[in-house]
Amino acid sequence: MSTYLIRRLSYMILILLAASFLIFSLYALTPGDFISGNIKLTPERKAELREIYGLSKPLMERYLTWMGNALHGDFGYSLAQQKPVLTIFNEYIWNSFLLAVVSTFLTWFIAVVIGVIAAYKQYSWFDTIVMLVIFGAMSIPSFFIGLFLIKIFAVDFHWLPPGGMTTTGSNATGWAYALEVIRHMTLPVAVMTLLGLGSLTRYFRSNMIDVLKQDYIRTARAKGLTERKVLFTHALRNALLPAITLVGFELPALFGGSLIIESIFNWPGIGQLYMKSFGLRDYPLLMGFTMFLAVLTVIGTLLSDILYRVADPRVKL
Amino acid sequence: MSLAKGELAGPGKAGAKAKAAAKSSLWSDSLRRLLKNKLAVFGFAVVVFMFAVCFLGPMFSPYADNKINMALMNKAPSAKHWLGNDALGRDVLTRVLQAGRISLTVGLASMVLSVLLGGLLGIIAGYYRGVADQIIMRVADLLLTIPSLPLLFIAGALLSEWKVPPDYRMYIVMIMLAIVGWPGLARMVRGQILSLREREFMQATTVLGLRSRRKLFNHLFPNLVPLLIVIATLNIGGAILSESVLSFFGLGVTPPTPTWGNMIDAANNMIDFEKRPWLWIPPGLSIFVTVVAINIFGDGLRDVLDPKKGR
Amino acid sequence: MKKRTTVSASISILLAGTLLLSACSDNSGNGNSAANSGGATGSTNTAVNAGADNAGGASTDGAAGAIQAADLSKLPAAAKQRTDTIIVGLTDPSGAFTPYFQQSGYDGNVSSLLYTPLVLVNDKAEPIPGLAEKWEASEDGRTYTFHLRQGLKFSDGSPLTAEDVAFTWTILNDKSYDGDSQVNTLGIKGSDAYKEGKAASIEGIKIADPQTISVTLEKANAAALTTLGGDVLSKAYYGKDYKQGDTGYMKSLSTTPVGTGPYKLVKFTPGQEVRFAANENYYGDKPKTPNFIYKTSEGDTWQYLETGEVDYASFSATQENIDKLKSLGFVNIVPYTPSTYGYLQVNLEHEALKDKKVRQALTYGLDRQSIYVDAAQGAGSIANIPSSPISWAYTEEGINPYKYDLDKAKSLLDEAGWKEGAGGIREKDGKKLTIHYLGSKSKNTDIFIAVAKENYQALGVEFQPEIFADFNSLVSKVEGGDYDLVSFSTPMLTDPSDGLMQFVDGEVKGYSNPKFIELYKKGLETTDIEQRKAIYKEIYQLLNDELPVIFTSYKKSVYAYNARIENLAVSPFYGLAASLPQWSLKDVQ
Repeated sequence: MSTYLIRRLSYMILILLAASFLIFSLYALTPGDFISGNIKLTPERKAELREIYGLSKPLMERYLTWMGNALHGDFGYSLAQQKPVLTIFNEYIWNSFLLAVVSTFLTWFIAVVIGVIAAYKQYSWFDTIVMLVIFGAMSIPSFFIGLFLIKIFAVDFHWLPPGGMTTTGSNATGWAYALEVIRHMTLPVAVMTLLGLGSLTRYFRSNMIDVLKQDYIRTARAKGLTERKVLFTHALRNALLPAITLVGFELPALFGGSLIIESIFNWPGIGQLYMKSFGLRDYPLLMGFTMFLAVLTVIGTLLSDILYRVADPRVKL
Repeated sequence: MSLAKGELAGPGKAGAKAKAAAKSSLWSDSLRRLLKNKLAVFGFAVVVFMFAVCFLGPMFSPYADNKINMALMNKAPSAKHWLGNDALGRDVLTRVLQAGRISLTVGLASMVLSVLLGGLLGIIAGYYRGVADQIIMRVADLLLTIPSLPLLFIAGALLSEWKVPPDYRMYIVMIMLAIVGWPGLARMVRGQILSLREREFMQATTVLGLRSRRKLFNHLFPNLVPLLIVIATLNIGGAILSESVLSFFGLGVTPPTPTWGNMIDAANNMIDFEKRPWLWIPPGLSIFVTVVAINIFGDGLRDVLDPKKGR
Repeated sequence: MKKRTTVSASISILLAGTLLLSACSDNSGNGNSAANSGGATGSTNTAVNAGADNAGGASTDGAAGAIQAADLSKLPAAAKQRTDTIIVGLTDPSGAFTPYFQQSGYDGNVSSLLYTPLVLVNDKAEPIPGLAEKWEASEDGRTYTFHLRQGLKFSDGSPLTAEDVAFTWTILNDKSYDGDSQVNTLGIKGSDAYKEGKAASIEGIKIADPQTISVTLEKANAAALTTLGGDVLSKAYYGKDYKQGDTGYMKSLSTTPVGTGPYKLVKFTPGQEVRFAANENYYGDKPKTPNFIYKTSEGDTWQYLETGEVDYASFSATQENIDKLKSLGFVNIVPYTPSTYGYLQVNLEHEALKDKKVRQALTYGLDRQSIYVDAAQGAGSIANIPSSPISWAYTEEGINPYKYDLDKAKSLLDEAGWKEGAGGIREKDGKKLTIHYLGSKSKNTDIFIAVAKENYQALGVEFQPEIFADFNSLVSKVEGGDYDLVSFSTPMLTDPSDGLMQFVDGEVKGYSNPKFIELYKKGLETTDIEQRKAIYKEIYQLLNDELPVIFTSYKKSVYAYNARIENLAVSPFYGLAASLPQWSLKDVQ
């Protein structure tokens, strides 16, 4: 296991190095740069500014400068916002994390519950209807359902706020503030949960169906255990086991923000920030964020591979 | 896409019986069982219906040329225009059907591409292990580190720089979806194979000294099919939805060519929401019905094809 | 439709913004971002949208056609509860609030409330006193002397003197200055030496006494007064860490501005809001409403106006938008025509398009009525000259309206030698006539493409549309010259000459007509309006015939605001910022 880990870790570093160069080149290849967006500038001034920002240097040199600084923990200043990239992340990322954590928790919780019940009552009316609803939920474009919910819940019924994270101008603190944020996050969390629910429920359902057919379940029933106990202690645990390998993959999603949901609900998250920075070609911010996600992805992959092995010891890694 | 390994396993019919007999009974058996699953049959019927209507329907439409007619701008459904007219007076019904051709093609083609690509690479990696495995999985890891949407943005901009004619963008969209989609898929297939390899029936094939190809195609592959089917069906639905998201960002098919995605996107504002449901209900419902039906069908198929699910 | 811009002298005091993806896409038929309506800075990217691009030089149609709120009792509770605060949407302030050093026009909107320039301009673009109470220019137009008001203070209470003005001008000429102020292009005497590090100060800047400062330029420049007359940075605050050749430290001060404007910054919450409170050290009258908030908001703004989360928003003037606004009952609705014009930039470096007849044929053969008037549901009208209909120079006399005329277009192409070939596409010397069109993602672009494709097909022209998800890519594609037509819109125009700039400064590549240049210069030499009118008429007739770009449309907009607000006006140059201190909230039950 430990040699395996060492090997994996060295791969990880190699992959991250390769990824950083790939990502850097991709951004550099993307037509337009931070200066070209500002069409008011004269060509001479543009050249001058490119010189100041170092954009006129060859790709490799720029990359090495960036990498050198990044290895020292210096991700530079955002060109547009004039703040250190890490400071900006800190301002936005936790807002995204809040949405992601709550909706991920809800998604898993609901998926497990529904999955188990649907599997237990396989082919019943409940099962059929639940699966239909769940397929339905995953079959609507997210941007569309977002605006739809805003229309109904915010504009027509005034039950929930139409967007943002707090009421504009509010000075609430403590519980009042928490309540305010909860009200604001209800709609985006609902949409995110709805969209994620489908595949996960389906996954748990089929796992559970498999498990319920196993001999040890029959044994447990034969021993006279209550159906509830059979279902929730013996079966569920075994059905959940393979799912822990999925946990690793959720990691980048927790911090990555959602481009669409955040922009529809005007949520001050990192996904929105990314979109805007991409439009501006704010390279330090883009690089910093993408690399951050890359690190999380690589860690997540490793994590899920390890968990996979733990869950199914027969598998050689 | 968060379904994963371990969905199925176990020794199947792929035992030591005469293969011809095993095969024919496997398929006819499966078909029989599929027909018993009414929901799956219904799903299949709906999918076939959608395909038929979208590909044949526009031929019977008098408005197939998509002529702009300002006099009919945003008109509500009528006897002449069953689903009303859009912002340029074009017939919504005709456009929804024409859009369906493209959205369904995009979904299907993108599915085929990514299943082929991901499945093949996953099988190679999982079955042959060694260097091939290392290379494939490291490339997959690398691609997984790059968030997909920005990648699509950049690809879109690059394609334009490389002068790919906009008419071909649709196909590029499919390829982009496949390229973005394969690493996850390959990982899943590989994981499944790794798990299957350790099962008794596979070890038996080794003991019996079966040739590699026979092991792969006669014994391993049938056990992979259910997983691939689930992936494939999810993928069609996913691709149809992805197309709508790409349209939302302006990376999709170039208008005036309609797709379900860009039709919904065109009506994605408060006023159309309130006043003109005929602009967004038809494409929205089409996506909805198609994706649901494909998934139901896929689910049924999986249940049926799962080799360990004997009776 | 995007701006492609050159900016007039009078607004060069203000920051130009970098265009945002969002700013590009929310200009669809339905609801411009309120954000942009907050547009204080004329030359910012906000000029793309409403607000800032309000009637240049003539906020004329303001009162006419305005609709008063019918029923203030419908005011949403959220808006009713606010008694000392006004909220306006702004797309995306990023937190860099130091004037001259910010990159986004949205930040410019914020800093325009925090700072007052030395010289303001009125609605007619005439300079009026700001921080400077008067100024004079020397005979040769090279030396300007500014006299500051007595007792000016920064928001931290420290006094503002000529030292601060000198510091501001100096730092803008620093080698490492990376903003887009035009001060460093004026050629202040000795500024080059300073830039190169050969001098420790700029020779041309002279402080006579704490209230008086003068500046000498290498050569006269008509734009100098307003360019120099910009915001003033505190030397004590922004200058204490300054070393020649290094302005990098300014970044660390960007979120904590010390200004001179009617408001001061209270709190900036990234991605959410910017809060202001009245600045007690402001030299003018104290703002009537003590608190103001820019709410970060993007896209469809209906939901925020309807729920009372913002007090002001601007929309394109479609009949159904107006009807919907009327049905809200609690907003006053004011129509206005932005002083911009939309056009299709033509690639004059491409052989086929060099031919005037081809350009005319493409104009005749394009059903602009359908695209810009009918499909826009009345929120637009057709443009045929490079001037807004509200400009005093606007004329229709002797102007060819290029009414959609397929036969005329066909015969023009025949004359130009483009004959119908295989597949109905016209050919000349074995080359097909194809038009590669670029547009950014918006509803308007979709409409344009649909109609143009049909029109040009009928004309025998192959039309290849391409849509760009982000504006930056579009611009770089245009710069690379790989296009035939591209949709743009000018920023807000003030003087008639502003609308012509793009034909003079080389932005429209490949257009050179000595007669036009001569007329253009003539138009600037005189200040007599009647004489100028005649000259511009001639220019418009010339350009209308030559079509160096294809003129497309004028926009029509409305802004709507919570009817509790009194004294609201939108200045063509400062957007809301100019009248904001006067806004007051009247009581409602």
